Amino acid sequence: MIRSQLGTFQTLMKQMQTLTEADQQTPDLAMKMYHIICVPSCFTYFQTLLEQNGLWGLVQLHHYNWDFIYLDEGVLSLELPNLYECLYLHGNTSSLPAVAQSLRLLQMICGQPSMILSYGSHSERLLEMLKLLGNASRHPSSMDYGAWLILDRDKDYPSSLLTPAIYAGLLLEVFHQRAGEITIDKSHNKISTQRISLLQGQRREEKEERKGAAQSSSIKLNSDSDEIYGDNRYKHFAQVSSLIRGQVKALGLELQKLNDMQLDEMHDYVARKLPKLTELKAKVLRHLNASEVVIQMLGNFRRLQTLEEDILNNVSRKRLLTEIDELLTTDGQRYNTLRLLCLLYLCAGISPEELQTFGRNYCNMFGHRELPVFQQLARAGLLPQLLAEKKAASTKLLSQLPLPKFQQTEFQANANRLRLLTSFADNQPEGSPSGASAARSSNATSSASQQSCPSFVFNGTYIPLVAQLCSILLKTQNADELATKLAMIEGFQLHLPNDTSFTPKTYAAHLKTSATDQDQFPITQRKIFVFIVGGANYAEIAACDLVAKLTGATITVGTDNLMAGSDLIAAAFKH
Amino acid sequence: MDMQFDSDGYWNRSSRAAFSFEDEDDEIDGISTELPSSNWDNNGIFSDDSELPTNNYCIQISIKDLLTEEALKEVLHEQTLDDRVMAKGVSAEEELKLLRRQVQSTLYPNVKATTHKLMQGKTTSLEMYKSLHEKQQLLDSLLANGGGGHAIIAVVLFLKRTLNSAQFHGILKQRPKVLQEYLSFLQDCGDISGHIELLQRFGRHQEAALKQFQAAIELADPSGRKHQLQRLVDAYATAGVGIIPLYEQVFHAALKMQLLLEKEPHLVADHLTPIELLYACCQRNGNWKEQDMLKLISPQRFAADQQISPAQYEWTALNERAQAQAYADLECIFERIPTWHPLKTKQFHISFDLASAVQRLYELQAPATVLQLFLSKMSNSNDKLNLARRVKCIKAVIDAMAGLKQQQELIQLKETLPDRSEEKFYCENALKTLQSKRWTTDNIKLKL
Repeated sequence: MIRSQLGTFQTLMKQMQTLTEADQQTPDLAMKMYHIICVPSCFTYFQTLLEQNGLWGLVQLHHYNWDFIYLDEGVLSLELPNLYECLYLHGNTSSLPAVAQSLRLLQMICGQPSMILSYGSHSERLLEMLKLLGNASRHPSSMDYGAWLILDRDKDYPSSLLTPAIYAGLLLEVFHQRAGEITIDKSHNKISTQRISLLQGQRREEKEERKGAAQSSSIKLNSDSDEIYGDNRYKHFAQVSSLIRGQVKALGLELQKLNDMQLDEMHDYVARKLPKLTELKAKVLRHLNASEVVIQMLGNFRRLQTLEEDILNNVSRKRLLTEIDELLTTDGQRYNTLRLLCLLYLCAGISPEELQTFGRNYCNMFGHRELPVFQQLARAGLLPQLLAEKKAASTKLLSQLPLPKFQQTEFQANANRLRLLTSFADNQPEGSPSGASAARSSNATSSASQQSCPSFVFNGTYIPLVAQLCSILLKTQNADELATKLAMIEGFQLHLPNDTSFTPKTYAAHLKTSATDQDQFPITQRKIFVFIVGGANYAEIAACDLVAKLTGATITVGTDNLMAGSDLIAAAFKH
Repeated sequence: MDMQFDSDGYWNRSSRAAFSFEDEDDEIDGISTELPSSNWDNNGIFSDDSELPTNNYCIQISIKDLLTEEALKEVLHEQTLDDRVMAKGVSAEEELKLLRRQVQSTLYPNVKATTHKLMQGKTTSLEMYKSLHEKQQLLDSLLANGGGGHAIIAVVLFLKRTLNSAQFHGILKQRPKVLQEYLSFLQDCGDISGHIELLQRFGRHQEAALKQFQAAIELADPSGRKHQLQRLVDAYATAGVGIIPLYEQVFHAALKMQLLLEKEPHLVADHLTPIELLYACCQRNGNWKEQDMLKLISPQRFAADQQISPAQYEWTALNERAQAQAYADLECIFERIPTWHPLKTKQFHISFDLASAVQRLYELQAPATVLQLFLSKMSNSNDKLNLARRVKCIKAVIDAMAGLKQQQELIQLKETLPDRSEEKFYCENALKTLQSKRWTTDNIKLKL
């Protein structure tokens, strides 16, 4: 059983070739000697390759698509870890049909939604494929989701690049995750592997000691099997770590009670309570360990967060650049430092010259072999393209012209239109004209508790795009309203069940002219399914969770894989 | 005894009581056991979507409640890779129909049907696409339908086999998306030379150079690596396709490092990053007062060769020297004569945040005198006080308090210090100077 990756397939073929060469007998073609199961789909050209390698007939290919896996309440995942890398970095769309099939299966089970909103080119391709697969003959009784929202990762990079402030998000940030389970290993985790060991502050002996004590345990990120996680997953990390400490203390007291008891009492107690208690204790301890490692690894978390906030709001770009550079020197993390730079590029822009100096220092730190990373990230739209020097003459001319210095990046423009940056919105007067988002900003100002605004996942600086779109969808009363809210931004497509698609604006116009079509707003079925092409993160999920609570709806987030920001950057290193 | 035994029983039961996932397998019902290729063994989907309480893992759902008969058939049909396998129990007429359809599809190209099949990853023959026009049509139809990459590659491989290279490249040139898919395929294949050649053919020289560099640096044999790098550096400078300065610099630096490793084989541990190598150089360097710039492995020379930024150089040296507990050398690293005025005395100069330097030194258990030296360079007394407290450098705390004129706090601090300790004297001295107000600005003003 292999993942559908050409590299793996080829090594497998090579191994089989040597095996068959050793075995000189003429093989019986009817008897398949080997079976390969590809997850999630079997590529068409695998057959051709088999033929080329002289293995055709010896190997039987199968495929197996495990579709959505239920990870947690409101979280579905396809567990396809290489999808982001393929789609956005290599432009390889081989895995998309499998995703489309899974989506259609979901449609068969849950019924077709009354509309699908897509944003981004890959999302549109997915929907085209859905169309080609044909209309699902759907179950008559069920129509579970009122709307689907399908969105490309590259339309909202910042919510991946920012460091989340919530518990689940940070766990994912620090520990390796697989199918909703994280492994806690004290000596080895995502962040420590990013650093260069020589420049670490500890003395050697200390390190040895730690190695001895290392042992790994795992936490299942599922609110059903782990109530502590269920209670805390979307809370602010500081809150969670103190809560867990409190729980540990409470447990200690509980156990002390045991000493004061009579024998009968004790027996009764052991019978009824202790089993649960010990189980709880084990769980709490695991969480305590986890949060301690997180604290240790993140070090100066507050500094990082103010830095990120400044980047988002584009406060003095030059200082930010030097600060990132200093972080690279003093606490160089292979992925996370680069991640900050990418964030800076998206929010404030970086000139190729600035990237040049950074790239120079970066290669010094992590080796010359990492040079192609910059090109990879540029392709994903996370960094500017490096330009060849012969064009430099014209840019120099341009820079001499008295152009206005202030340039908005695309991200900033869009973020302002959708009111994603809350620390800006706070300054605006309340009651500004556009309904839902005004309510949001007034929400943020009026109530001091951050829990009332989805931006709490980033300490109140930024609302993930998905969450904002969901709340727009849920609060919109008619098509015109949607059109005005989304009109400024290119790339939205509304798809209706009868295979027609509109932009929000043309949809509103279409409704006015045609007598047959009903306005789909407001959405009657208060359930939304969100699918993010290229990896969702816990910050987005938590934000959606809050939006759902605020509006009394249900939001299910589906994705191909759960990814922290560092995973996103790490994908660029696998060339 | 009995009781004892009993409680043991409780213990054993305890771990399993809460949740049981064991009977998950039981609920695969009649339909799915009959059809082994169905993919219904994941209950998570059901429990989430069926509006039942989600923590109940053991719901008995028949597959028929979820899907209609036709939908199920359709899904299962899609699962099979080879359509040509005949289903059992088909009547003779049906069979004839099916066969006729199959013969037709092998003789005449049907773009739509082939597209559909390819997208689902089914086995299908492309041999009937003979004319160039038909071939192009097939490819375009795939593209128009969202085109799964693997389907496109299948067609491209077929085209490559049946067309000459000029035609083949012509087709690729007109369809950049296809080209990208094919490039990605070649890369996954490990066909690096083919990949590079194709990049060059389509004018993407920068990418090609990058790929060549990558290939060169991954070579296991050092002399081969040097040779390749040399060739690349020469070719890149003369290719006339424009130069990306970052690439050029890194190419040169990598070559220089390779040459250095050749000359100083004892430094060798393969694939070190420049910083790690600098660290090794620092370890070998004996004379920090005046570094021999002619020696290739003197840290300063190496840093200059590799264009390592001053901050990186200083940070690495700081770590290495502190690790080796050679604190006296630290002064030499951070004190330098300003270049614009060579007669001036040495000045303290640091290229990164002083606070992080102090913090790191503290983590490396540097003695208090060293910490004080660094803390004394901080200009902001408030910050200094905070930091000094954090790293427990009492003398620096006293300095900072004196700077802030916090007499009360100083007296309090004095009380806590042990008698006749060095710190106590220091503290008393500080208090004395603070109390004699001769040199404060207020007094000067009064006299004037």
